[in-house]
Amino acid sequence: MTTLEQLYQAVIDGKNKDARALAQRALDEGANPGDIVDKALVPAMAAVGERFKSNEIFVPEMLVAARAMKEAMGVLEPRLVAAGITPKYTALIGTVQGDLHDIGKNLVAVMWRGSNFRVIDLGSNVPATKFVSAINEHRPHLVGLSALLTTTMPAMVETVRAIRSAGCPPVKIMVGGAPISQQFADEVGADGFAPDAASAAEKARALVESA
Amino acid sequence: MEPRERYMAVLEGGRPDMLPRMPILMQFAAEHIGSYYGAFASDHRVLVEANLRCAEEFGIDQLSAISDPYRETAGFGAPIEFPRNGVPICLKPPLEEDPDLARLSRPDPLKAPRMRDRVDAVSAYKARAGGRYSIMGWVEGPAAEAADLRGVSNFFVDLLDDPAYASALMARCVDTAIDFARAQVAAGADTVGIGDAVASQVSAKLYESLILPHERRLVAAVHEMRARVRLHICGNIRHLLSGIASLGLDIVDIDHMVSLAEARRVLGPNIVLAGNVDPVACVMRGSPEAIASAVRQCYAEAGEPFMVAAGCEIPASTPPANLAALCRPIVPR
Ligand code: B1M
Repeated sequence: MTTLEQLYQAVIDGKNKDARALAQRALDEGANPGDIVDKALVPAMAAVGERFKSNEIFVPEMLVAARAMKEAMGVLEPRLVAAGITPKYTALIGTVQGDLHDIGKNLVAVMWRGSNFRVIDLGSNVPATKFVSAINEHRPHLVGLSALLTTTMPAMVETVRAIRSAGCPPVKIMVGGAPISQQFADEVGADGFAPDAASAAEKARALVESA
Repeated sequence: MEPRERYMAVLEGGRPDMLPRMPILMQFAAEHIGSYYGAFASDHRVLVEANLRCAEEFGIDQLSAISDPYRETAGFGAPIEFPRNGVPICLKPPLEEDPDLARLSRPDPLKAPRMRDRVDAVSAYKARAGGRYSIMGWVEGPAAEAADLRGVSNFFVDLLDDPAYASALMARCVDTAIDFARAQVAAGADTVGIGDAVASQVSAKLYESLILPHERRLVAAVHEMRARVRLHICGNIRHLLSGIASLGLDIVDIDHMVSLAEARRVLGPNIVLAGNVDPVACVMRGSPEAIASAVRQCYAEAGEPFMVAAGCEIPASTPPANLAALCRPIVPR
């Protein structure tokens, strides 16, 4: 197996120390840091997302894979920055006000990072005003809203409305979470919906690339 | 039959006059009596009044002490905030940053205020309606409480990184769950509900190797107290059913994404299945007729022994007529 193949496997298996060492080894062997991201880390996270979607792995396995990717990125980032390679797209994400569920939102953030977005995570129980001020501050290409409770779906409606009407810079909005559907996304005027974290990564790329 | 007799009849393999109705109520009950969730979770008098009035009005056979996930977590020292219309919030999981178990004291259920409040709820049920209704105490299961103490994501990573630590943490949680269950049984609970919903998010392998042994110890301890056990792991637990089958439970709640027929096949003929009408799509948003027919469909799929319930909590904005439809009497076949 090549070093990149080993790195790919280490991320899937959630082996964070190996992932770090392998990322370093790939650099030492002369690999381009952007290629390491594109050829090992991004495909590894895509594979992890697919396995999660088909119930081959569950939340804990996904979390350790994300951590392994983060470790590898820790090695690569200084070289990426030095080479002027930064993620092309920025995304904001948060769980809407009143809702404390953050596992699904965290997994979506992981998959977005895994497909090479810069992700700013606003956490859970985020008021609409905080989304709006963060959009003004960071000028993201995409903003993601998560809700797990039927009782917080109105807060999602409210947040979409605030983002659309506050004189915010234009931004694509994606919504998701267990009670959310494509129909609900259409009704509230979001640009996209994804039923799971792997699909959320595909959808994110499609949305920002169509902008 | 009185509600408690009806409930016991099913558990003892007898024939009830109608199927027991066991919906889980929290915010709905609080708001139904003109109160609010924050009061329901922080003052047992509100919880008791709300559940008793709903039981009388809708025909519910069990009075429950469930309110929110953080009774034990508060006992372990976590600061809890009570929003007026929302679920209590744990401001900081006590082991989030420093996992050292030596920092955890063993709360006394009669002294820790939020635990004591639940014990007081059970005593009040007993005093006001004990002979008439079944009374269910409530404790957090090993995975749920461990996740509350560590933060869910940390705990999930612990399960893979340091199974010995995760197991030691769950053992501590079960020690407290047993103490808490004992206090509630002494106060008059005939049943102890165990909530372990985060377990739905782990693989069968992790569940069976790490979580199940702790759940088993808790179930056995409650049985030694001569109380019944109702396990509640909402969400999709198809992959956990064969492990759950080995727990020796009296009642298991089945959420709407799991087929009752499959649950019956895997869990066997003796366990009571409770469920599994979709709480949101059907109970909250459906028509009374659709709900009543969904209940009959659940009964047909589950077979005996069976109790009527939604897959999880009755959502706060459910129209009262819909809860009444869920509780419409059904004479067993
Ligand atoms: C931006 O674009 C996108 C795109 C896709 C997106 C997206 C955004 N966000 C998510 N996705 C999608 O991708 C993710 C990955 O594939 C998916 O994310 P999910 O979040 O759906 O899936 C996660 C990976 C895993 N799933 C989860 O993390 C949720 C698991 C369950 C067990 C659950 C948990 C863990 C918790 N809970 Co709560 N909880 C339940 C859940 C029941 C169950 N067994 O499923 C649910 C969600 N809870 C519920 C309830 C009612 C509550 N909970 C509460 C509390 C909690 C805990 C704090 C104890 C804990 C959360 C801890 C945490 N840090 O997140 C309370 C509310 C607190 C609050 N204010 O938020 C409380 C009100 C209970 C109470 N009375 O105390 C129910 C909601 C019912 C409803 N539809 O309204 C519930 C379905 C249980 C049930 N069967 O009734 C997709 O939806």
